[in-house]
Amino acid sequence: MRRLITFVIILTLAFACSPREKKAPPPANTAATAADDETPQDGGTIVRRLEADVTSLNPVVASSLYDRRLAFLIFSPLVHIDTDLRPIPGLADSWEISPDGRLYTFKLNPKATFSDGTPVKASDVLFTIRKIVDPASESVQIAGNFEHFDSANSKAVDDHTLVVAFRHAQASQLLRFNDVMAVPERIYSKGNFKQDFTNTPIGSGPYKLVRRVPGQELVLERRADYWAKPPYLQTIVFKVINDNNTAWNALKRGDIDETALQSETWFREQDNPQLKRRLEFRRFYTLNYNYVGWNTRDPLFADKRIRQALTMCLDRPALINDIYRGTARAMNGPFTPGEWAYNPAVRTIEYDPEGAKRAFASAGWLDTNGDGVLDKNGKPFEFDLILTSGSSTGAQFAQLYQAGMRSVGVKANIVTMEGTAAIQRILAGNFQAAYLGWDLDPDPDPYTLYHSSQFPPRGQNFVFYKNPEADRLLETARLELDFDERVKQYHRFHEVVADDQPYTWAIQVSLKWGFTNRVKGVKESRGGYGLVMWYPGELDWWIPQNQRRHEQPTAAAAPAAAERKPVVVPNEKKPAR
Amino acid sequence: MATYLVRRLAYAVLTFLGITVATFALIHAVPGDPISFYVGKAGPRGVPPAVLDSIRREYHLDRPLPVQYLHWLGGIVTLDFGRSTIDRRPVTERIAEKLPNTFTLNLISFLLSAGIGVPIGMWSATRAGRATERASAVFFFLLYSLPSFWVALLLMQLFSVRFEWLPLFGVVSDDYDRLSPAGQLADRMQHLVLPVLTLAYAQLAVFARFSKSALTEVIRQDFVTTARAKGASATAVLWRHAFRNALIPLISLLGLIVPLLISGSVIVEQIFQWDGIGRLYFDSILARDYPTVMGMTVATAVVTLLASLLADMLYAVADPRIRLGEERQ
Repeated sequence: MRRLITFVIILTLAFACSPREKKAPPPANTAATAADDETPQDGGTIVRRLEADVTSLNPVVASSLYDRRLAFLIFSPLVHIDTDLRPIPGLADSWEISPDGRLYTFKLNPKATFSDGTPVKASDVLFTIRKIVDPASESVQIAGNFEHFDSANSKAVDDHTLVVAFRHAQASQLLRFNDVMAVPERIYSKGNFKQDFTNTPIGSGPYKLVRRVPGQELVLERRADYWAKPPYLQTIVFKVINDNNTAWNALKRGDIDETALQSETWFREQDNPQLKRRLEFRRFYTLNYNYVGWNTRDPLFADKRIRQALTMCLDRPALINDIYRGTARAMNGPFTPGEWAYNPAVRTIEYDPEGAKRAFASAGWLDTNGDGVLDKNGKPFEFDLILTSGSSTGAQFAQLYQAGMRSVGVKANIVTMEGTAAIQRILAGNFQAAYLGWDLDPDPDPYTLYHSSQFPPRGQNFVFYKNPEADRLLETARLELDFDERVKQYHRFHEVVADDQPYTWAIQVSLKWGFTNRVKGVKESRGGYGLVMWYPGELDWWIPQNQRRHEQPTAAAAPAAAERKPVVVPNEKKPAR
Repeated sequence: MATYLVRRLAYAVLTFLGITVATFALIHAVPGDPISFYVGKAGPRGVPPAVLDSIRREYHLDRPLPVQYLHWLGGIVTLDFGRSTIDRRPVTERIAEKLPNTFTLNLISFLLSAGIGVPIGMWSATRAGRATERASAVFFFLLYSLPSFWVALLLMQLFSVRFEWLPLFGVVSDDYDRLSPAGQLADRMQHLVLPVLTLAYAQLAVFARFSKSALTEVIRQDFVTTARAKGASATAVLWRHAFRNALIPLISLLGLIVPLLISGSVIVEQIFQWDGIGRLYFDSILARDYPTVMGMTVATAVVTLLASLLADMLYAVADPRIRLGEERQ
C-alpha cells in the first residue's frame, strides 16, 4: 500500500513537472502591420468566456443572458438591431405596419435556410411566435414582449410573407421582434418543446453548434451554407468560467480572448504597460443603471420633497470619482444619457447636505431631542435600506450614501440580503428602500416600472409611484407611432418623474471588458447595446492570419496561406442531450 | 447479525425520511422561490402572469407545502426525482453528469491525504512529546487553518500564471480528444494537481493529528508494554499490536469521510472551473431549484447512511470483541 501511494505521488509529480506543451504567449502587437488592422481576414478561432453555462439552447425557452448570447449566433432574429438601436432587416427583408399599428406584414429573406438545409418559411416564424406566447412554453424572458399577440388574425400568407396581428398597437413592438428567433416547425413541433431541444439547436443563424461539454465549453462552427453575409470567424469556442479572477488569469495567459472584467481588476491592471502590449481594455456604457427605490406608500417617503432631499444626500461626485474612479456617470431619470428618450434639459439633483437639511426642516423634520437623528411627532427618521449581497462596489455605495444621510440626520440601516430573497420582498412591495439596478430593453418604454396599473403583487412598480400626468404620458407614448411625437412625450415624462423622485437615480456604471489584441473589429454599439447581440457587432470580429492560435499543431505548421480546416472535434460525446 | 442489519436499515429509512423533511422545510423556508428568481432575471419587461402560473402548476408550487412534499416523495418511490427548474432536465441526469468529476477529485485527494497523513500520525505517536513532533504538530495546525480559497489562488498564481507549468482551469485540455491514451491520462492528471492539492492539504492535517491521537492512546496501554518486554521489534510492536488496535477510531473517521467523496467543494470548483457537485448545489440553492436541491440531498443522505452502516460492520471485523446484535444480558 505504502509503495503504491509513493508511486502515485511520484507519478503525479512527474506529470506536474513535465508540461506537455507550453502555450505560446499571445504575440505582441509589434509585428502587426497597418494593413493587418484594416482589412478583415477570413477564418480563425476565437475563444470566448461564458460566465455561466447555458441552460437551454432553445431560443424560446432560453432563460439566461448567456442562453441568449448563444442563440444570437445560432439563430437569426426576425429583425436585427443596429448600432443605434434601430430595427434593420434580419430574417425579414422588409416589413409594413398597418396605419392602426396592429398588423405587421413581414417579407422573409427567400434565401434563408436552417442549418439542416431546409428553407425558413413564414409558417416557421409564426409557429415560433405562438410558442413564445403559449404559457406552457414558460418563455420567461420573451413572452412579455408579445402579450398582446392576436393569434387568430395572424397568418402565413405564403412561404415568405407573414402577417402578425396584435390586439393593441405598441410603439415598441417592432424592436421586440428582435427576440423572435425562428425554429423549424417540422422538427420543434414534435416531442416535448421545453425539454427536447435544450442541446440540439437547429437555427437559421451564421453558426451551428458542433460540440457541448456541460459546465466546460460550447463550440460553434460557421455554416458553409449561410444565406446572408458570413461572419469572419470560422470557429467560436465558449469556455465556461464562473470565477472572475480565473477568467482574468485565463485572459492574461491567452487561454481566452475576451472576458468582461470586474471594476476592481480594471482599476488595478488597466495601466499596466506590460499587459497593455498584449491586451486591449475597453469600457462603455450599456442600457443599465443603479438606483435607490423609495416605497412611496411608506409614510417616511410619501412626500416628494423628502425624496428630493434624500437624493441631495447622495455624494455622486465622490461615488463616481472615488469608488468608480471615473468609470461611471450620473443618472437623473428613467432614461440613460445616450438614449433618445433622455431629456437633456432635466436638472440633476446635486449633492447638497445643507439644502437637504432645509428641506427636511420645512417638512417638519428636526432633531428635537439632540440625538443626531431627525424626528417628527416623536418618531425618528430611520429606515432599512436593502442591499443585495455579492457586490463590493454595492456595499461601498451603501456606506457612502449612509454617511451622506447621517450628516443630515437621517438614519439608514443597511440590510444585506441574498438576491432572490430580496427580489421576492421588493416585488411584494414589502420594503422601505432598496439599492437595485435595471437592465433596460432597446426600446425605452418605462411603462411597466412607473405606471400606476403596475403595482405589486403583479407588476413591477413596487415603489407605488402614481402621478396622473405621468400615467397619461406613459399610456399615450407607448401607442404613439410618430417618432418625434413619442420623443416629446418621453421628454415630458422624464421631467415629471424626475421631479417626483420615486427613485434616487444614482449612476450608470460602464461595463469593462478585456481582449487579447489579436481580436480586431470590436466595436461598441452607439446606442448603448454593448459589444454583442446587435448587428453586426460580434459578427464583424476577426483575427489576423499571422496571429492565429488554438489550432491544430499540424495546421499551424502547414504553409501559412493554406485555408485552415475547421477543428471539428470528433464527437462521440454526442453534443445532444 | 441479520436482525441487527434489519433493525439498522429500519432506522436508516426513518433517518432518511427525517433528513428529507428537514431539507424540504428548510429550502422552502428560505425567502424567494423559482418564480421570484425568474422574475428577477426578466428585468423591466416582466413575465406575463399566465407564464408564471404555468410554472407554478408544473412544479406544484401552487399547492400547500405538505402536498408538495408528498408529490415529491411519491416521485422518489418510483425513482423519479423530478426536473430542474433551471434547465428542465431530469435531476438524476444533472447529478450523474457532475458526480464523476467530484468523485475522482475527492477520491484522489482522500487517498493522498490519508496515505501521507496516517503514516505521519504514526510517526508522531512514537515520538510524542519530542521537539520534532511538537514542531510538526504546530505545522499541521497551521496548515489546517489556512483558508482554502487563499491557498487555491496562491497555487494558481504560482503554477499556472507565473510559471505556466499547469493548466489554469477545467478538467481536460482543448486538444484532449486528439491525444494518445497516455497523453489523455497525463492531461487529466495535470488538471488534477492544483485542485487535489487544495483539497488535500487540510485533510492531511486532520488525518495526521487524528491517527496520532488514536495511536498515542493505544501505545500507553499495558499490552504494548508487554509486547515490547517480550522483545518484539519496534516495527512489529507498532504495526502488529498498536496499529490494529488504533483502527477503531480510524474506521469512525472513514464513515465520516465517505460522504465527503460525493459532496463537492464550491470554492475549489469555482476557482478551477472543476465542473462538479458543489457548484451545482450552490447554483441550485441560489435559483431555488427545489427538485435539484432535494435530489442532491437524497444522494448525500443515502451515501452517509450507508457509510455509517459500513463503518459499524467494519468495527466487528477490526475488533472481534464487538459482536453485533448480541446484546449481553
